[in-house]
Amino acid sequence: MAAAADVFDAIASPVRRDILDLLRQGDRPVHDLAASFAMSRPAVSQHLRVLREAGLVTEERVGRERHYRLDARPLRTVLDWAGHYAQFWQHHARLLSELLAEDG
Amino acid sequence: MAAIEVDQFLPRLPGQVWRALTDPVLLARWLMPNDFQPVPGHQFTFRTEPVPQHGFDGVVHCQVLDLEPPRRLRISWRAGPLDTTVTWRLVAEGTGTRLLITHDGFDGRDPGQQTVMGILGGGWRGHLLGNLRALLDQVPGQGAS
Repeated sequence: MAAAADVFDAIASPVRRDILDLLRQGDRPVHDLAASFAMSRPAVSQHLRVLREAGLVTEERVGRERHYRLDARPLRTVLDWAGHYAQFWQHHARLLSELLAEDG
Repeated sequence: MAAIEVDQFLPRLPGQVWRALTDPVLLARWLMPNDFQPVPGHQFTFRTEPVPQHGFDGVVHCQVLDLEPPRRLRISWRAGPLDTTVTWRLVAEGTGTRLLITHDGFDGRDPGQQTVMGILGGGWRGHLLGNLRALLDQVPGQGAS
């Protein structure tokens, strides 16, 4: 499992987030991804490498092509992190409401 | 700037809510033990359980930045890697008060924070949490719910 920092770094790039969004629709070969983003293959491959190291995509060789598949599991770390502070304040705002109600 | 905003209706007048925000004993009852004083510039801490995986030792270092009774209180909020601010605004509403909590300033030096807050603020087509849940729901046995 990749370190949490790698996952954050991986999704810090809008291009990589878009790649993940595209892969939600199904596996794609590199040339298809490159065409979708009007980028060179090496540039797309570089982004895919970062995603692969974060554990967010897996690679499979099909004939002469490499196909990429989404593996969303590492994103749970981000979900937990992002939800933490919103939940913290919602929880404590409720506690305040209860405190004020009981001190009537 | 990206921020977390929480909005809670409270069944008490702003003066009473203000007391719960600025009396250290009351503040401890709904938030955390503290040595707060309602004095601009006062430095204080909140103390809670450490969260080692987030680099947090359990101490929130704060300073009173703005104090405008009974309408607005703004404090700095430094906890582990976070260097943020928290603002409480009180708006009279009928027989009660609407409390608006804004926790912002997450766009510090840490790229992870920038990313998450940028996305919470509308980066990933506006719906990070929805997007992440949708992605995780596609993984068999790994649903977010």
